[in-house]
Amino acid sequence: MADKAALALKGVTKRFGGLTVADALSFEVPAGSRMALIGPNGAGKTTVFNLISGVFPLDSGTIMLDGTPLENMPPRLRVGAGLARSFQNIRLMPHLSVVENVMLGQHVLVKGFASLLSPLAWQRGSRWRQFAEASLRDAGIDVDPDSEVSILPYGVRKRIEVVRALMSRPRLLMLDEPAAGLNPRETAELSAFLKSIAQNGLTLLVVEHDMSFVHDLCDLTVVLNFGRMIYDGPTRAVQDNEEVRAAYLGRRRVLTRGTYPAA
Amino acid sequence: MSGYLSGVLAILCINLIFAYGIFVPAAAGQINLGGAGFQAIGAYGTAWLSSVAMWPVWITIPASMLVAGLIGFLLSFPVLRTRGVYMVLATFAFGEVVAGFLLRTEFFGGAIGMVVPAHVGLPVLACCAVSVILLTFYLMATRFGLLMRSVNDDEAVAVLMGVNVRAIQVAAFTIGGALAGLSGALYAHNFSFVEAQYFNSFLSIYVLLFVLIGGVQTVWGPLVGTSIFTLLPEVMRIGGSWRYVVFGAVIVLMMMLRPQGLVTRAMIERVSPRRLRLRRAVVGGSHGR
Amino acid sequence: MTNKPSLARYRPTIQASAVIGVLIAALLIAAVTFGAQTMARLIVSGLMLGSIYMTVAVAFTLTIGVLNFLNFTIPTLFMLTGMVAWGLVAKGYVKFADGWAWLAALAVGVATAVVASLLVERFTFRYLKMKYGDATEHAIPLVSSLGFLLIFENLVLIFLGSESQRFAVPFNADIHIGGLVVGVPQIVSCALAIAIVATLSFILKNTRTGRALRTIGESPDTASLLGVEVDKVVPVVFILTGLLAGVAGALFTVNYGDVSPFMGDNVGTKAIAAMVLGGVGSIWGSIAGGFIIGVIETLSIYVFGGDSVQMVVWGLLLLIIIVRPQGLFATVSFAKAKM
Repeated sequence: MADKAALALKGVTKRFGGLTVADALSFEVPAGSRMALIGPNGAGKTTVFNLISGVFPLDSGTIMLDGTPLENMPPRLRVGAGLARSFQNIRLMPHLSVVENVMLGQHVLVKGFASLLSPLAWQRGSRWRQFAEASLRDAGIDVDPDSEVSILPYGVRKRIEVVRALMSRPRLLMLDEPAAGLNPRETAELSAFLKSIAQNGLTLLVVEHDMSFVHDLCDLTVVLNFGRMIYDGPTRAVQDNEEVRAAYLGRRRVLTRGTYPAA
Repeated sequence: MSGYLSGVLAILCINLIFAYGIFVPAAAGQINLGGAGFQAIGAYGTAWLSSVAMWPVWITIPASMLVAGLIGFLLSFPVLRTRGVYMVLATFAFGEVVAGFLLRTEFFGGAIGMVVPAHVGLPVLACCAVSVILLTFYLMATRFGLLMRSVNDDEAVAVLMGVNVRAIQVAAFTIGGALAGLSGALYAHNFSFVEAQYFNSFLSIYVLLFVLIGGVQTVWGPLVGTSIFTLLPEVMRIGGSWRYVVFGAVIVLMMMLRPQGLVTRAMIERVSPRRLRLRRAVVGGSHGR
Repeated sequence: MTNKPSLARYRPTIQASAVIGVLIAALLIAAVTFGAQTMARLIVSGLMLGSIYMTVAVAFTLTIGVLNFLNFTIPTLFMLTGMVAWGLVAKGYVKFADGWAWLAALAVGVATAVVASLLVERFTFRYLKMKYGDATEHAIPLVSSLGFLLIFENLVLIFLGSESQRFAVPFNADIHIGGLVVGVPQIVSCALAIAIVATLSFILKNTRTGRALRTIGESPDTASLLGVEVDKVVPVVFILTGLLAGVAGALFTVNYGDVSPFMGDNVGTKAIAAMVLGGVGSIWGSIAGGFIIGVIETLSIYVFGGDSVQMVVWGLLLLIIIVRPQGLFATVSFAKAKM
């Protein structure tokens, strides 16, 4: 069933010195599904994103995006393969305006020397700019596109990052704590927005702590603990799982080679 | 126009081109503290072509600019293995190597220097300076300029957006080298004489100061910085060394109070005509978009 | 599977060994050409010179390693020590004839360097507010230090003149070691330089402050989270910088007897070359680099004449930049992506 999976990890392992941050991870994200990646702090969720994006090379294992192996692909080519992500600590470019940040996300779709060297300002009516501005409006971001990003509220900046990620028309969108710091109303809006964009065959993989958001948005969940996967299945059955409960509520564990000591 | 005034303006034009040669890589996040080395390559290249090969001005200048750009291209590969402070040191060392090499090599006149027969006057310098500035405005307004600024802001994320960061950095460094070389070539033809002692580390430091204090966020920055630091000393009649003490104190204060430089993006946005139109629309009660 | 070919891991060692191999080969060729006596004399004076370069290089490397700050005032501090010491004598506050008075003058010089260094800390580093990081923000303290360089150097020019001056230390004893004549002051300074740097190395490894410094060097944010009082520890770097540059300046003054407002520039660029050669951020690298540059300088002056030094030293540097820009023994890794 590998060709039905938007993303397939097999045996993905990564060690930093003596610390195993990813321990033979294997799971699949079915195409068109919305999956949550959860786990206690330090479980390695952002690390998984970093491994998929190519920030770090794998020690072993494979990562397949729609059947294309990613693990040896240079990070900058992975966007072209259909991967996009947002970041836990918002990583917008501080000296670029809102629309410029979003247009950066389009980079992988912009082809040709001519478009590289023609002025952006003359393209105010151009399709790239219109695409960016329309996407911002669709996401409910109601600010002047030429404004500075640093003065905008946290929630707005988080959503701009999501829009930036969408610009490359990805097949898999990885969101790292998109609801962090949002109030309940904003969280509901975000959930509705994500559901609407996911309708066009986009696969979502979301790292989150907010369980009501997870239950609302994602029908599938993978739970990580200390770099190991301890659950892979429907979201509604997560809290019934023994090991998940133990991971969150704590239980004494024996130190095994190279893994984190008990919290 | 008096000889004194045209002399000052000539220096201003040369400094401006030089400054933009430092600005372009800086806008992509690379600090080049060996600018004098590239200027020397341009100056000596043109001096040799002009006095020995006897080529006309309109060939020597582009030719030495090309050579400087080529060396910038070649140098970018090892230099781009470094970042931040380490890159500053690598480029600084390069500048010293060029100066040392030129000082020692009889082929280029050694310590005595070289005479440059062909002369180029202020109108040509001014033309070149204006062209370079306009070209830089253009470059920064393109998608290429956007990519450069994103590499400066957050290289790691730029990679993840699919940007070929390496290519951008090499291109920026090469363009910078070529512009610095151009400034050297024009200097050689205007002053009619080049000597290696002129292209020292203090020259590299000063031009870097013009750019960083003017501000690297916008293309106006180097223009403002260079103009102030080239013209102000002519205006200030404080005696000799005290002038530099004041200069130094101003630099320290600037870095304390306004490290982003004199001209920032926010400043430009606030006075841009489109913004003023928007503000009026909003005040007028409509949605303003 | 992304397994790096095993050879790649050894590339740094191979590169470093290759460069060192070339240098040793050159030395051996020189030794054969000039004869052992001359060679020994040249190497000894090269090491003396190198000990001064090394001390200044260590000051540079320490500041970069811990604070990521290329401190251009270091050569100026070096110069301040010598010039202030001379100034005290010239203005009559210190009489050379009074026994060890010259030592007191030098001590005041070193103290001046330390105070100046702390001034730099107060007005550059303290104010560093990283509002939003971008790739050029590391240049802010660098530019500040350039400002201070201008201030200090020109104040000296104003108050102490621009001439080169004599500071002849009133004793001179020589030791004869197997046909070699070596001045006692030179041995003392070499030993002193080595002692200071060894102490520094010890401090960094074994004291709490030293560990705090290394933690800050690794990651400033983590350091404060771990309870390191960054604001109390950072000044230590500047004090050490002042001491190192100052003592180097004092040793230079005693050994060569000449001071000038420009004495820092030449030594500064050589010290930077030494640091780049040895590996920025590595103390042992700077030590090795300093001695290598010192010996190379003495040898090239002997073989090619005074003007050649620039070429040889900077030619070697160019080679390093092209082959291994982070230097022979660099320990710092650059690609730290923090996502």
